[in-house]
Amino acid sequence: MVYVKWGFWGLFWLVVVAFFHYTLPQHDVVRITDTYEKRVDPGSNALFWSNADTGSDPTTPSRDVFFIQTFQTNDKPMIYRNEDTGWGWPPYFKFDTSNLQAEASDLLSKKSEANAQWVVITHYGWRNEFFSIFPNAVGIKPADGPDQTTIPWFNIVFLTVFAAFAWGIRVRWKRFRASRIDPVIEDWTEGRS
Amino acid sequence: MAAFARLVFFGFLFLTAIYVVISIWSRSVRREKLEREWDEQGRPSDKDTYIKAGMTDYENSLRRKLILLVYVIPTVAVAVIIYVTNFM
Repeated sequence: MVYVKWGFWGLFWLVVVAFFHYTLPQHDVVRITDTYEKRVDPGSNALFWSNADTGSDPTTPSRDVFFIQTFQTNDKPMIYRNEDTGWGWPPYFKFDTSNLQAEASDLLSKKSEANAQWVVITHYGWRNEFFSIFPNAVGIKPADGPDQTTIPWFNIVFLTVFAAFAWGIRVRWKRFRASRIDPVIEDWTEGRS
Repeated sequence: MAAFARLVFFGFLFLTAIYVVISIWSRSVRREKLEREWDEQGRPSDKDTYIKAGMTDYENSLRRKLILLVYVIPTVAVAVIIYVTNFM
């Protein structure tokens, strides 16, 4: 039984961590090499595309999506999609996709350039080649250089508050269980629990 | 606009559920506190009257009205996120 219990909680927290890793914002220092738009027809990976209703019809099967093509500081490519999240999930309330694309294409910088322009891209989501899913870019800022680091203040505050809430609920649940549930079970089992 | 209406509708339902749970919980905590106080003060008068008076005070208290922050905080948070994401 104890393995089942640990297995359950292990799995539970794994899902929680994966969920936050996907949803919370992250900052990458990259060099933008191109911006383009491509038609996509989300299939079994539709969960990882946002397709928000921000005035356009969300029921059409295929649509054009903006992409931002970049290279990371380790010279590996990273492709971002650039989609509105609108009023839906995750709650970034992003409506400025076209503006973001304009900013991105203004900051193009190729490898051959003498003074490469690095940028900090704020994004959420994962890149996975097997499912053809891309992180969604939320914000772009010019960076001072490839070594720039950003302190994730939002994530620090958010996760601290979340931990406090989870702890508070856990403590109250344990108290509730000790005072309301355990006595009843002991009653039923005549103390032989 | 349908998406916005959906967010408002389900958001309101969700927050109302939280509001109701917190109200009930807060009231029960207050009642327990009053029962304990009544005990500690050497059981001054009739228990029911004592608790009823305390609960009336609670109904008019700022503490109970603060539970309305359940609606205010998420609304402000959404407004701030919209500003930061789109206009900053």
